[in-house]
Amino acid sequence: MMRKLSCNPQPQPPVTKCLVARAVLRLVLVTLACLPSAFAGSDAPAWMHALVNVPLPAYDDKTDAVKLYSETTVSVQSAEKVKRTVRVAYKILRPGGRRYGEVVVPFSSRSEKISNLRGWCIPAQGKDYEVKEKDGLEVAVPKIEGSELVSDLKAKIINIPAPDPGNIVGYEYQVDEQPFVLEDTWYAQSRVPVRESHYSLQLPPGWGHKTTWLNHPEVKPTESGSQLEWVVNDLKGIRIEEDMPPEEGVAGLMIVSYFPQGGAGTKGFTNWQQMGLWYLDLASGRSDASSEIKAKVAALTASVSAPIDKMRAIAKFVQHDIRYVAIELGIGGWQPHPASDIFSHRYGDCKDKATLTRAMLHEIGVDAYLVPINTERGSVSPEMPAYMGFNHVITAIKLPDGLKDPSLVATLQHPKLGTLLYFDPTDEITPFGQISGTLQENYGLLVTPDGGELLELPRQPATMNGIRRKAKLTLDATGTLKGDVTEVRVGDRASSQRWALRNVTKDVDRIKPIENLLAGSLSSYRITGASLVNLNQTDEPFGYNYTFESEGYARNAGNLILMRPRVFGSKARSILETKEPRQFPIEFEGPVRDTDTFEITLPPGYAVDDLPPPVDADFGFASYHSKTEVNGGVIAYTRTFEVKELSVPVSKADELKKFYRIIASDERNTAVLKTVGK
Amino acid sequence: MPLRRLSSLSFAAAFAALTWAAILVPAAFGIGFQPVSPDELKMNAEQQAPGAPAIILYRQVDRDDNGRTSHQDDYVRIKILTEEGRKYADVEIEYRKDVENIVGIKARTIRPDGTIANFEGKAFDKTIAKAKGLRYLAKTFTLPDVQVGSIIEYYYTHDLEEGQLFDSHWILSEDLFTKSAKFSLKPYSGYYQSFSVRWTWQRLPPGTNPPKEASDHVVRLETQNIPAFQTEDFMPPENEMKSRVDFIYSEDQYEPDVDKFWRKTGKKLNDQMEGFVGKRKAMEQAVSQIVSPSDSPEQKARKIYARVQQIRNTSFEVRKTEQETKRNKEKEVANVEEIWKRGYGDGFHLTWLYLALARAAGLEAYGVWVSDRSNYFFDPRTMERRKLDANIVLVKISGKDVFCDPGAAFAPYALLPWNETYVDGLRLDKDGGTWIHVPPPASADARVERTAKLKLDETTGGLEGTLTIAFTGLEAWRRRLEERNEDEGERKKFLEDQVREFIPAAIEVDLSNKPDWSNSDPPLVAEFSLRVPGWASSAGRRALMPVGLFSAPEKHLFDHGNRVHPIYFDYTFQKVDDVTVALPLGWQVSSAPPAINQDGHVVTYTLKVDHDAGTLHWARKLNVDIILLDPKYYQALRNFYEGVRTGDDAQVILQPATATTSN
Repeated sequence: MMRKLSCNPQPQPPVTKCLVARAVLRLVLVTLACLPSAFAGSDAPAWMHALVNVPLPAYDDKTDAVKLYSETTVSVQSAEKVKRTVRVAYKILRPGGRRYGEVVVPFSSRSEKISNLRGWCIPAQGKDYEVKEKDGLEVAVPKIEGSELVSDLKAKIINIPAPDPGNIVGYEYQVDEQPFVLEDTWYAQSRVPVRESHYSLQLPPGWGHKTTWLNHPEVKPTESGSQLEWVVNDLKGIRIEEDMPPEEGVAGLMIVSYFPQGGAGTKGFTNWQQMGLWYLDLASGRSDASSEIKAKVAALTASVSAPIDKMRAIAKFVQHDIRYVAIELGIGGWQPHPASDIFSHRYGDCKDKATLTRAMLHEIGVDAYLVPINTERGSVSPEMPAYMGFNHVITAIKLPDGLKDPSLVATLQHPKLGTLLYFDPTDEITPFGQISGTLQENYGLLVTPDGGELLELPRQPATMNGIRRKAKLTLDATGTLKGDVTEVRVGDRASSQRWALRNVTKDVDRIKPIENLLAGSLSSYRITGASLVNLNQTDEPFGYNYTFESEGYARNAGNLILMRPRVFGSKARSILETKEPRQFPIEFEGPVRDTDTFEITLPPGYAVDDLPPPVDADFGFASYHSKTEVNGGVIAYTRTFEVKELSVPVSKADELKKFYRIIASDERNTAVLKTVGK
Repeated sequence: MPLRRLSSLSFAAAFAALTWAAILVPAAFGIGFQPVSPDELKMNAEQQAPGAPAIILYRQVDRDDNGRTSHQDDYVRIKILTEEGRKYADVEIEYRKDVENIVGIKARTIRPDGTIANFEGKAFDKTIAKAKGLRYLAKTFTLPDVQVGSIIEYYYTHDLEEGQLFDSHWILSEDLFTKSAKFSLKPYSGYYQSFSVRWTWQRLPPGTNPPKEASDHVVRLETQNIPAFQTEDFMPPENEMKSRVDFIYSEDQYEPDVDKFWRKTGKKLNDQMEGFVGKRKAMEQAVSQIVSPSDSPEQKARKIYARVQQIRNTSFEVRKTEQETKRNKEKEVANVEEIWKRGYGDGFHLTWLYLALARAAGLEAYGVWVSDRSNYFFDPRTMERRKLDANIVLVKISGKDVFCDPGAAFAPYALLPWNETYVDGLRLDKDGGTWIHVPPPASADARVERTAKLKLDETTGGLEGTLTIAFTGLEAWRRRLEERNEDEGERKKFLEDQVREFIPAAIEVDLSNKPDWSNSDPPLVAEFSLRVPGWASSAGRRALMPVGLFSAPEKHLFDHGNRVHPIYFDYTFQKVDDVTVALPLGWQVSSAPPAINQDGHVVTYTLKVDHDAGTLHWARKLNVDIILLDPKYYQALRNFYEGVRTGDDAQVILQPATATTSN
């Protein structure tokens, strides 16, 4: 199934993907319950029965199933016609492996036709089961906010009977494909161990191919006539970990491109440069400005003269006035709509918005380029061959010579084009001049008339993404803490709040993010006043100003009083507190620098008896510094939390674990007060 | 051609969605786009929905159940108030292709300046799900040029298949505030055959007259200012909170009298039940293998209960495909004797088997139909038989009512699953039955007891030792139920994750025993080795240890100041903690928190910390005796939980012997 360029990279609830899956699953379950009986009853095929007695190594008690065998045969008939046959069999080892009895075959209904989908179960005891395509279900993903409104992506689903521990389930199907690009990716490794996996490629006479292996040593194919076959054995399963790199970045896979004599023409590429040309061709003519677009540009820029202001006006228009709507059918998953359509409808997906941006900027004499990218850093890297690993499109704007503005941060110095500014018009919340954390140090394909260049996007300074929280508080003799808090947020820290508040449907609920924050640390609190700063002015820092009080914040303990100087807000995480050792690097979304200052004025007659020690932890990839001081009846707690590297290797996972434990400990630390004279 | 009534549960659920949004404008009868007022154009907020991203200005639903050209016209007009509100311009109308079609879609955007952008594109037919015999589709389209301040509107018609009759549901509450709405339904009036229709309603907006049939036999409702529906934690089932009207067709003659309706229904249900359980001789023979004549009534009731629960209960097995079911030759059973003979049955039938055996043992026992509280709150006045959807048995023992449901796997004797309690039920008899109330279980019947014996590490501030958790009653039941089809490894992980959910810190935990997952009555007891790194923190020369070791579940309860819906717990419960910490040699307790006894009548919390030479001990108890609480008591409940958190945050001051505790 082809990947599409349709990502709406606005911060989404982290469950979005789960929601999609769950929604589909729910539908499937509901619908399968209504399905008529499956009367099939043939034996499983010989290729499955051959697996019944294969010896297996001992797997740990977390391995739900093992992929006993898989076989993908790709038979290239022509540049327009490819036949694929897939066979897969699993042995179910644990109850959790029952999910492998549900076979989901995704496909694009415009360019792929699935046929002969059949599944079988060989029970440990008793006769085989068979289920056919007609007994299954075909589904499309229902509309989920942020996903495609209309798409040709569908899935065929069959439920194989009795996928119980000890049983073998398997399936096979054929696909007739009309490929957009002569390229394929073989995911040799999976989430369960793989015993044996085959990939075969049959090419017409005179055709060539090129393969690249990622995260796995290169495997040489065996040749038999016109057929090439690659085989891998005994691969470990990929266990998903929190904040790990994308699976494409860690799974063993082979990317294969194939081409007729004389090259793939418009249907293939052997390097990024060629891929850029391919995409350029696809987008050709789409950025032509209609008279309405020209008029709009004139209107938007009439009142400003500086190029930067003109660019900002256009960027703001595309970010905010062009609604994100993805309608993607066939090649429409990659090819933008014409700018004139996007403009007149006032909607489009990421590549549409990027295309309209280009068109409008062109009208003020500024060149901009499309940049396909993947919103998960690590999905595409220079080590990879040119392949369809992107899911999003942004723009790179060639800044006019001599234009310098401190707000333009996401820039790159290009040897030929000069200064390029990356801009994501789909991201309505990140201000012009900056990019979100997920795009930083990520690789995008700069598409220019010269072709494509895979370039690393810049990393912005940590100071451009963070929270600066200052609280002036007073403790009274009853232990109640009250006062004012000013919170200034920039970068993704601002975007996340703006996004959360966009989804608030009642004014009274706008206070909820503050309630959530305080509730995380205070056993009781009352917010007595709150306001938002620059909610919609996305080029300005976002802020909260609020006043709260917390009864019983300081506690009497005998003749002493206990009070935690770190009043609220938490930086500690427990992602590495697992039984199993870490397998994959830990990825941060972006660089960040947060500072907290809590100044607490003590009631008259109180003095400090003991203070928590300062903390200075710097592990290179991140640092944390805190201190608690007393000055004239005021306890001042300050801390700085900074993420400096975007990825922590497995070899430093223990250091990161220690880092978070140090933070957790500091966050629990308590000051001991006493009344003077006692 | 006979008329078919499609109103089974699944169909009703599928078609609840059909009533969304809009107006149904049959080509011939549609109202078309209505004029837009200047006020609608210029409005930029709705006083009654402050902060709303959009509001429904007007909605109309007109249903004509004539049986031949039955159709429903939907119309909706939405004002976009914020950028976020523009998402309502993406429209997806789900329908079942095999029984209806969506026709006559018209849509447009009215820009803030009053100019109009008509939807001239194509509505895509998206296949949501397609299988043998059914096709769920969705007409999908998006409106052009939608900006903040725009008005979007669209209408369409559900063209319903000839010869079908569907229940109809007007769900008034939507995600958006509705300023004005009109609904109508022209009931089927007997072209093919006779059907009666009745309708119920709940939570109509203030000032709204209930739906009424007019002289033209059309039922109508007009309403204004319907609040946007929102969900909250610990709220009752959503459908109970929504403003709605439900129409129910019946092949039976309309019976307006509630008592008569249930008498008649009760007789039918009783006949069905007696027909199923009436195998006296076979049951007497069976029960003679289970009880002895000398057993007391309670002993008999318990023994029979235990025996029935030993029978394979197919309702709680991994769901099988029809092919597996066929191969296993699992046929429908006709009576309790067949179940007894073949040795398995579903939960429903096993409960009736218990009834039959109890009677055969000489016990006074009744079949009772109740409704599942997890889906809705049953009200007999709505006369909906389908909502009586769970069967239980009432046994009279020494004059006391004992409710049992052995068909509910892992439910202990005399303890019903929570969803079958706190509801009214129809106790069946030949005269039609009697309404009874099934009481909720006591909080002590859902208990979590955590006992920890730990040592404090003087160098790290960590705690290390053993933890024993006993889940009793409903707490054991729900865990056994959840993990019933898992293996030992998954169950171990499940229990260890439970401990992680209890403790508000990173921990290392390892299950060390083999809990009893099979039986219903005994508590589910799990033993662990436990490490809590850095639990005690430093304060210069002293060390401080919080006492809220198991406080994590209460940390984020009722964070928010505002509440709309009643507070709803599935069942009442208790949490009882007993923690003993051995201190390092020479360490002293400088100060311990005072005892807390917070009594909120229906909720109580106590905490008592004491210590002696080298040992610290605390006992914590949280008792919640609430199922449903009016929102006016929300603040009181929130205050109570703040008190719980305050107690849990209390710290013991420790004086190390020589060195200070480090982090």
